[in-house]
Amino acid sequence: MTFDAIGIAGSSLAVHRKWLDAISDNIANINTARRTDEAAFQARYLVVQAGEGTSGVYVESDAYGSAEGRLAYDPTNPLADADGMVRMPDIDLATQMSALIMAQRGYQANAAVVDRARESYLAALQIGRS
Amino acid sequence: MFDSVTFRALDSALDGLAARQRAVANNIANVNTPGYQAQRVSFEDALAASVARGDGRADVSTARSLEPTREDGSNVNLDTETLSNIDTVLRYQFASNAMDGQFSSIRTALRTA
Repeated sequence: MTFDAIGIAGSSLAVHRKWLDAISDNIANINTARRTDEAAFQARYLVVQAGEGTSGVYVESDAYGSAEGRLAYDPTNPLADADGMVRMPDIDLATQMSALIMAQRGYQANAAVVDRARESYLAALQIGRS
Repeated sequence: MFDSVTFRALDSALDGLAARQRAVANNIANVNTPGYQAQRVSFEDALAASVARGDGRADVSTARSLEPTREDGSNVNLDTETLSNIDTVLRYQFASNAMDGQFSSIRTALRTA
């Protein structure tokens, strides 16, 4: 195929969108407390892989953060155990925010590629027209 | 007439530029993929040599960039790739305009007859 550029950029748009979804989910659950006998909320990360040749990029699998999390003292929480402890997720807001910016910029870069690929398509359509 | 050096050369140029377009799109698609090495497409030197021989056909070759990688093992530079993308689009438009010009000359010749 001569013009795969739109599809290639499209595969990356999908990957970056999934990444954004995972990050927003992680940030949304940054204060999700659990009982100490349960697993903490686990941050979700994407394992991505470049396709063969020029076939873009795809999400190979999901990876999860620590299930152990960290114990926090919060005796007023209804989930707190006898010692007043709850299990909080081990998610770093700064890490998630910088990943959010990377995902957003990556998405924008690929959206721009779609626009520019379109210009090439239109130029090719003009051959033999005039 | 459709097999002149000019037609063949423009055809090869359009092929090469389209291949570069795909490679650049693939590089930008993998801007955040750890361990990805950027692809580089070259055909200009081969095409220039081929035109000098009076042929006009040239093969497109793709190689991996050997530039130093970032911490995550990827060596895609978003600025370089964006420039290359814009450059390739303009060159593609230029080559397709030239191709269009070739066809218009033929059309003019057909109308005159």
